[in-house]
Amino acid sequence: MSDIRIGMFSFAHMHAASYLHFLSQMEGVAIAGIYDDDYDRGGRFAAQCKAPYFRRIDGLLDQDLDGVIICSENALHAPLVLESAGRVQGILCEKPIATTLEDGQAMIDRCRETNTKLQIAFPMRFAPPVMDLKQQLDRGVLGEIFSVKTTNHGSMPGRWFVDHKLAGGGAVLDHTVHVIDLLRWFWDTEVEEVYAEVGHELLYPGLGIDDVGLLSFRLANGVFGTLDTSWSRPESYPTWGDVKLDVLGENGLISVDAFEQNLQVSSEEDGKTSWVNWGSSGDEGLVADFVDMIRADRDPSVRGEDGQRALEVALAAYESSRRAEPVALPI
Amino acid sequence: MRRVGIVGAGGISRTHADRWNQMPGVELAGFYDIIEDAAQRAVQRSGGKAFSSMDELFEAVDYVDVCTPGTAHVGPVVAALEAGLPTVCEKPLANSVADCEKIVEAAERTDMPLFVAMVVRFFPQFAKAKEVLDSGAIGAPGVIRTVRSGSFPDSSAGWRKGLAITSYYADFAQSGGVLLDLCIHDIDFQRWCFGEIERVFARGMMFAGKEPKDHALLTVRFANGAVGHIEGSWSYPRGRFATRIEIAGTGGVIEWDSRARPPVEVALAQEDGSLASSGSSPTAPQHDPYYAELAHFVRCVEANEPFLVSPYDGLMAVKISRAAIESLKTGKAVTIG
Repeated sequence: MSDIRIGMFSFAHMHAASYLHFLSQMEGVAIAGIYDDDYDRGGRFAAQCKAPYFRRIDGLLDQDLDGVIICSENALHAPLVLESAGRVQGILCEKPIATTLEDGQAMIDRCRETNTKLQIAFPMRFAPPVMDLKQQLDRGVLGEIFSVKTTNHGSMPGRWFVDHKLAGGGAVLDHTVHVIDLLRWFWDTEVEEVYAEVGHELLYPGLGIDDVGLLSFRLANGVFGTLDTSWSRPESYPTWGDVKLDVLGENGLISVDAFEQNLQVSSEEDGKTSWVNWGSSGDEGLVADFVDMIRADRDPSVRGEDGQRALEVALAAYESSRRAEPVALPI
Repeated sequence: MRRVGIVGAGGISRTHADRWNQMPGVELAGFYDIIEDAAQRAVQRSGGKAFSSMDELFEAVDYVDVCTPGTAHVGPVVAALEAGLPTVCEKPLANSVADCEKIVEAAERTDMPLFVAMVVRFFPQFAKAKEVLDSGAIGAPGVIRTVRSGSFPDSSAGWRKGLAITSYYADFAQSGGVLLDLCIHDIDFQRWCFGEIERVFARGMMFAGKEPKDHALLTVRFANGAVGHIEGSWSYPRGRFATRIEIAGTGGVIEWDSRARPPVEVALAQEDGSLASSGSSPTAPQHDPYYAELAHFVRCVEANEPFLVSPYDGLMAVKISRAAIESLKTGKAVTIG
């Protein structure tokens, strides 16, 4: 069995480092090369995994690749996917799929036309505590589901994440899509209506982009809920953020804190107490699933359309906040 | 395809057999047990065949996994090594230092890979704690405390029902009580973290005539001057099993408690109006510590690389456990020879 050859397109999003880490531990996978428009960053990761560095996209696409992983700035997902489609079997694209629905649709269309499998990186589907919840929901232990209260708090990431042109949005776009994707997956449903209160510079004066988001939504299956997307975890906080899901049904409550498997480490050097996670990373399951998709020549488990629907909810949330009224989906 | 045979069809063999059955590239050939019925039952439960002798099993396999009680390790482990077979030995390496030395000698003489299944090193939270310690984040070793406390492994409950192994645990002369059966995990983990142990002092119930209840508090001094504390118990109320890690150094402290809030909590109203609540801490199948240790064994054997746990580590853990028991008996601190 020959190695699955993967090209890494950009390390602008820090998830790329984690994907690379787990890929390099996998048997039957070769990192064929790294492209990055930042020479220093690309060179550093290329040296780390002993793979060639490419300054041009074409150079890496010429390397007989089976798959590419795209972790560029959000706005650059579209050009990279459009260029890669038809030249590889599979594309794993970091979330959100794009910064506009037009870009997202163009990516999906091009991949379909060229028979390229487009998978969106939603690693939370592969986090064992979330998988456990999904199994319990599938077994129906809660009976009729009433409501879901969720948070995906984060730290303010800075860099291009706060540049509207490259990121497409701040905290709301960054952190709406993970949880919305989970809810759509749990119940095979869609968000029907979203109301949102978006906060600009509530936590970081002068940031120039939204740093707080509260979404209130109703799903097509009748479940209502809320999601807090805020970058409300300061430097001094013990961890980067959270994914928490409280699902309430007629029989009771299931509470998931997906990043609760931690050591508490107080370090004089860091000057603070941190939570060091020892749980199984969803990133590991995600890249294994991506490689398996290529090897087995099967459909992606998380499709481009899933990315598009999650993006649509985030964009509708911004629209709702501007109008101060609920927005119906699809928009 | 590699074939593995399990010698000893009691307690831990089921845990191992389940993992062997999940592992790609490995086939569970079957079981040998001096109690033929036990081997037959294990086969019905886990597959493979019941071998009529150890030699017959050795003929049919590439690897041997010895899951007999610690008092009965030396025979099958030495025989497997002499048969030229890479071998897993369940912890403790053996129940006596003399048996451990015979096993270590056989491993050296035959030059066959021998892996001591000190599974705690493969628990992700324990492995991460060691990794953080080694990163220097908390500075130089100071004091380490670990806990491994639950109720006695009762024969009336669950899959243990009717197994002879529980009477073995209750016979402290055989099992060594919590100091040898349970605290050995923490002794090995602490020694892995802080290095060689110089002396131990123990208090406990092993000779208090309260079998099967046992409980021990162990104090250790490391060669580098650091100190350690271990609690091990078969006296906690049922359902309160706990493990805990606390490692403090010159630059910080690492803490973990199995009883902290779990990542998944389920609270369901029962028909009678009562509440059924439970918590779980799921990890990916490949990070299950029993799977991870056995996969590690296979990977190291195939790659001809040393194991994370050496036969010497297995010997030292038993030596220190035995010294702790000696300390209980004498009321004195015991220096590790």
